[in-house]
Amino acid sequence: MVDAEKIVAGLGGAENIVEIEPCATRLRTEVRDASKVDDAALKAAGAIAVMRSGSAVQVIVGTEADTIASDIEELLE
Amino acid sequence: MTDPLPPLRVLVPVPGRVVPMGDVPDPVFAASLVGPGAALDPNRSRQQAIAPIAGSIAKLHPHAYVVVAPDGRGVLVHLGIDTVQLKGAGFTLLAAEDDDVEAGTPVVEWDPAAIEADGRSPVCPVVALDATADAIAVVGVGDEVEAGAELFTWS
Repeated sequence: MVDAEKIVAGLGGAENIVEIEPCATRLRTEVRDASKVDDAALKAAGAIAVMRSGSAVQVIVGTEADTIASDIEELLE
Repeated sequence: MTDPLPPLRVLVPVPGRVVPMGDVPDPVFAASLVGPGAALDPNRSRQQAIAPIAGSIAKLHPHAYVVVAPDGRGVLVHLGIDTVQLKGAGFTLLAAEDDDVEAGTPVVEWDPAAIEADGRSPVCPVVALDATADAIAVVGVGDEVEAGAELFTWS
């Protein structure tokens, strides 16, 4: 199970997340400060892997990505 | 311990050439992070992507879908790379989430040539979700195949 709250924390907290969008198997996120993203914390939250390219961070979570993204969006509201 | 599941035949969802997963131009699929499988370099013609196994459509995005067999094994078909960015443009859904389908039931109509013209790879990974690499035996890497042919066996 992926823990949405811990994913947000692993991404550096709500204030660090510019955008989050689900793909079929991953969360595509844009963060303000990539140095605040904690790969180990994201994996502990249930992520399979983390891919980074600058401020674009992809969190691989499997095919429940859409459900997890809506949970995260609720937390961000 | 439960008995091992019987081998599951996973069918080619779109006509084209079978390519190894490691050749998919996306690091997540190429490293089999969500599971092993094989990919198709699809024919550049408007076509209907079919269900690779019988079961229920557990997830249906315009550009990707998951069919879960009654025994719980799920297969992901991803139509092109980075195609989530198209937000559904160019994809026509032919089925609905939670539909029960046969192997071969059309699920999405799309045009790989349009995806490519727009600057994205139309390659389609077919993933045995959460399977181990040694559970998959791919048939005919490099072959030109029709939709409905056998792509791999999941033991």
